[in-house]
Amino acid sequence: MTVLGFSLTPEATGRIYEALVCLAKFGESVAIEARGDKLTLTALNLSKTACASFALDARSFFISYAFNATSPAATGDRFTCQLYNRALQSVFKGRANDARGRELSIDRCDVSVQDRPGKAECRLVVKMLCKHGMTKTYRLTYEPVEVMHALFDKTAATQGWRISARVMREYVEYFGPKTEQLDICAADGKVIFTSFTEKIQDGKEVLKQPMETVITLHTEDFDDFHMQENVHITINVKDFKAMVLHAETLHTPISAHFSYPTRPLQFSYQNEGVNCSFTLMTMGDFRGASSTPNPNFVSTRSSSRQPSIAPVTLQNRSTSEMPPPARPAARLNPDKTLSSQSQRGPLRPQSHQPLVSEPEPDDDSLFMPAGDDERTWDPPNFDHDEEEEEMLGWDAGNDMRGSEPHPTFRDSGRVAPPSKQSQQQQTPSQWEDGLEPTQRLSQLHGMFD
Amino acid sequence: MRFRADIQNIHTFTKFTASLATLGHVAWLRLDDQDVRFTVVPEKGTQVWAVLSTDTIFETYTIQSAAANNTINLEVPLVPLQRALKSAQNAIAAHIRLTKKDNIPLLSLTIKTTTINSSAPSAFADRDGNIESTGDDFGGTDREGSVDFFGRQDRETIISQDVPIRVLAAASVEGLHEPRCREPDVHITLPNLLQLKSISDRFTKLAMSTKAGTRGGFSSASGPRLELSANMHGCLRLALNTDAMRINSLWTGLNNPELDPDQNVDGLGGIENHPSTRMKALGDSQGQSEEGWATVRLDGKDWVRVLSVGRLGGRVIACLCHEHAMILYVYLNGDEPGVGESVLTYYISSYSQ
Repeated sequence: MTVLGFSLTPEATGRIYEALVCLAKFGESVAIEARGDKLTLTALNLSKTACASFALDARSFFISYAFNATSPAATGDRFTCQLYNRALQSVFKGRANDARGRELSIDRCDVSVQDRPGKAECRLVVKMLCKHGMTKTYRLTYEPVEVMHALFDKTAATQGWRISARVMREYVEYFGPKTEQLDICAADGKVIFTSFTEKIQDGKEVLKQPMETVITLHTEDFDDFHMQENVHITINVKDFKAMVLHAETLHTPISAHFSYPTRPLQFSYQNEGVNCSFTLMTMGDFRGASSTPNPNFVSTRSSSRQPSIAPVTLQNRSTSEMPPPARPAARLNPDKTLSSQSQRGPLRPQSHQPLVSEPEPDDDSLFMPAGDDERTWDPPNFDHDEEEEEMLGWDAGNDMRGSEPHPTFRDSGRVAPPSKQSQQQQTPSQWEDGLEPTQRLSQLHGMFD
Repeated sequence: MRFRADIQNIHTFTKFTASLATLGHVAWLRLDDQDVRFTVVPEKGTQVWAVLSTDTIFETYTIQSAAANNTINLEVPLVPLQRALKSAQNAIAAHIRLTKKDNIPLLSLTIKTTTINSSAPSAFADRDGNIESTGDDFGGTDREGSVDFFGRQDRETIISQDVPIRVLAAASVEGLHEPRCREPDVHITLPNLLQLKSISDRFTKLAMSTKAGTRGGFSSASGPRLELSANMHGCLRLALNTDAMRINSLWTGLNNPELDPDQNVDGLGGIENHPSTRMKALGDSQGQSEEGWATVRLDGKDWVRVLSVGRLGGRVIACLCHEHAMILYVYLNGDEPGVGESVLTYYISSYSQ
């Protein structure tokens, strides 16, 4: 019985190969998740600090796409399995470039997943329909597994930038091949990318130390740029390189979204029916980022800034009156208010109804204001557990799938909508990391009003 | 200890570093007031001793050292240096200096480039991209700060590459001396190195394939051997002799440069008694005679690595001491007067039969 069947153009076959090459840099296996509207390929690295995901749109990416949700293999409304990346790569390798491979070039690629209850082997069958009426059939054995997704909350990730993949591609070439980490820091209208390796060797070994590369770009080179000044966000160079190299094949700008060090960062871009996202854990000094009394931002988001008084007023209002009674419950999370005022407030000079009128980047009301809801609702994490700060959460759960727009938001979807009372109870702890700016600004309130 | 300079000729410097990097991982770099010396002495194979006048690759050259003669001795890893220089290919300016970070000495390159216009329409970006890629020289400076059609300004991007190095004490390099060799029997200007290299490549491959087939384990210790011979009548011969075949390529009409009488006064009675003068009496300009040849036997793989210096496009003179050694002089500045001499010297010893 066929759970899933789809057909690909030669170009789309090539796209899948490019995605597999990129995924191979994260993990040796590829998880496939089929839903009615999309097919997702994901890979998670061994240390579970990086997750790459390619969602192929059912309508625009494929010639035809049929997912049989009623099949017994499809649990709920999705089907998941896992294969070795190398096995898949060798099937898709070199199929697309018509110019070179005369006999190899294909007209179409048909893939079907056959689930045969009672038989030991589950098969993924790839048929390459080649020129001259030749068909090559590959049968791969897959392993039915649960697919893990990286949790990433875009509403909390208020900082970010967007840049052409082509520009970034030029610069990633300069990073030394053996360096390990990439530090991103904004200062003074510029952003500084530093690739470095931490281990320092002595004596003769010094010469084997990879070179350190620092690239200083103007924020104007970015289509969009918004990042707190002098905060260092550190990720893995290899992950970054893998992402940029793939983004360049899609000829699309790369977007980065992040909040502060030790919280996940996400790169995303989409083109031609391929939605790519890379969720990476970041390192860096978390305190440096969140406890700065008056965080400065290097930003290109608002070119016509208003007098600095306006944001001050905004912040005062929101903090002193919080939670404003008029706001709907779904928007009541004080953490969100905090993040929006401390991080975006100065740049979004909305005057007297700031919280209602301020558009968040992702303003879908289905999305709970999940800023730090793990911390909010989990007692063990209540005291800002250090470990929790370093953890990147993964959704391996089964129970809620299908009921939310994206499994990423499972945590916020499962809990009941926060009641006003519990919100208020949470408030003091929520404020702890944002307390300093709040106080200072309310002092300012008296002076300016 | 201080060293800083603007890199004046990035392409030459990059190609030069790439040529050295084929022979060894680490170079001994000696900087002083007059010149920049790079020396690569691998454990096995050809040595190269290169002297560059400072103005070949640097300008506004500043050096300051407590050591004698204002000398700085460094040990530099060549692959990272080459990579660092590569990121300066489209630079409008590049600067190198000796510095220290976390107690690790570094050669730090600071490179200024302009960003390709990302947000412009693709046709525009392409035009800019082409300018970037074809602009071999450093004429890009006039683009700096120019305002394009869309009213946006070209911005400078700054790349800095820190290459970790070791500083060598004067005592530790005292024992290193350039090899000495007897007067050569034949000196000859080599033909186009690209041609010579492609033939050498092919011979080396042939030698390896026949060896693998016929002799087995015995020969695996020694690499494929090529025979290079030259006479004083403009002939050069590259030959491969194995059990199964004998092949050779012959060049004729090459130039045998005249010896400079001023530099040979120390010899046994000057030019008249120089070995090459005696070799002139033997052989012919068609290379048909068996007399008058000076021959060296080279390791094919090593020789091909040496020939990668061809990318620098300099004039190459080979001096052959029959069955002993070959010295290759690669002159970078050509014959321009007034410019300090920049020369790479390769010492290649000959294998016995």
